[in-house]
Amino acid sequence: MISLSSPIRTRAHRWPAGAKLAALCLASTALFAVDALWFQLAALGLALALYALPGLVFLRSGLGALRIVLPFVGLVLVWHALSGSPAEGVFLALRMATAVALANLVTMTTSLEDLTDVLRALGRPLQRLGLPMHLLETAIPLVIRFTPVLIQKAGALVEAWRARSARRPGPQLVLPLALLALDDADHVAEALRARGGPL
Amino acid sequence: MHATADPRPAVQLEDLGYEVAGRVILSGLTLRSSARRIGVVGRNGSGKSTLARLLAGLLVPSRGTLRVEGIEVHADRKAALATVGILFQNPEHQIIFPRVQEEIAFGLRQQGRSKSEAAAEALRVLALFDKAGWKDAPIQSLSQGQKHLVCMMAVLAMRPRLLILDEPFAGLDIPTKMQLGRYLDRCATRLLHISHDPADLRGYDEVHWLDRGRLVASGAADLVLPRFTADMIRQGGLDDLSQLSD
Repeated sequence: MISLSSPIRTRAHRWPAGAKLAALCLASTALFAVDALWFQLAALGLALALYALPGLVFLRSGLGALRIVLPFVGLVLVWHALSGSPAEGVFLALRMATAVALANLVTMTTSLEDLTDVLRALGRPLQRLGLPMHLLETAIPLVIRFTPVLIQKAGALVEAWRARSARRPGPQLVLPLALLALDDADHVAEALRARGGPL
Repeated sequence: MHATADPRPAVQLEDLGYEVAGRVILSGLTLRSSARRIGVVGRNGSGKSTLARLLAGLLVPSRGTLRVEGIEVHADRKAALATVGILFQNPEHQIIFPRVQEEIAFGLRQQGRSKSEAAAEALRVLALFDKAGWKDAPIQSLSQGQKHLVCMMAVLAMRPRLLILDEPFAGLDIPTKMQLGRYLDRCATRLLHISHDPADLRGYDEVHWLDRGRLVASGAADLVLPRFTADMIRQGGLDDLSQLSD
């Protein structure tokens, strides 16, 4: 989907994005600083409780977004089991799951615009040093806008290949896709200039 | 001709030429017009899109001068933003932001409005087009015609005095074309519409026929378009597809 923020409005949507990010920072640090199993379990429990607070739909879509962390959790558990330190593996897996769950919670309750605003505020000192932070502000929405477009283009190339070949398309499509992306970049640069954008 | 008495025509080209790497794309274009609906007709590769980009100030003329409402649009970009808007052929190439309201607010921000002002103005424009419900719609979920309309709203929000249309309807079905055409008719902005299809320019106040980078005829739509159509059908009987460019 275009945006990862949840359409279900929660109280946390109204909290300032900077505060949420700072809290996330503190929580992640605590997760890695405290070595007690009860603490780790409690933290995961708390994170899950936070997911459950806004209701079942939010909980379900939130946990759905977390599925991506499962393979990594599995990998860590297997690795540590094989290398003879299963307890350490459980700790690490718990920490990882909780940290990602909390970070995802911030993503789900914060609009992209608010996140960009935080970035702008944090970047102000860098801007004074001459770094073009305003380019970053345009670049972020551009990435989100053009990711699905590029996926679509790749799909069209695969189709064009399969329409004329019985073999499966392979890395040969990488170069044409890159060229298509560059072509798109030219067009977007023009569109940005036509409306006074930063390019 | 018609606009000779006008001291400061809305669109003024004087011996305009454009070349890329020694290849002439446009040459010797002289045109003065203050018509409300101006059409430019020509074949693929006649230089129409280059002319559109020159008029929008996105390209710098190789020779001659070009002014829109008295402004040299490629040189004075700030004034140009308040003067010309351009709708490209493919909305996919024009839409920068993932959501409708952000897309419309972008140009307004570039014109110097504050974030909240731009957001409010974007909502006002959406309401004006009866599309208030589109505010948070993700671009990816819109149909091709709907994306065209978003582009149109985003450009018109900046209140340009001249709206340049570069084949905006190519590839759209007849109902979508007609509906978008109605939105264009409703806006009071001066239009400069570039197309290869004479049907798009029917009833325009003035039509300029571009062929291989030169103007071959100018005049009222019902005078120029029949001649253009006849010549296109004549050329359709030939085989210039075989020719490779050098």
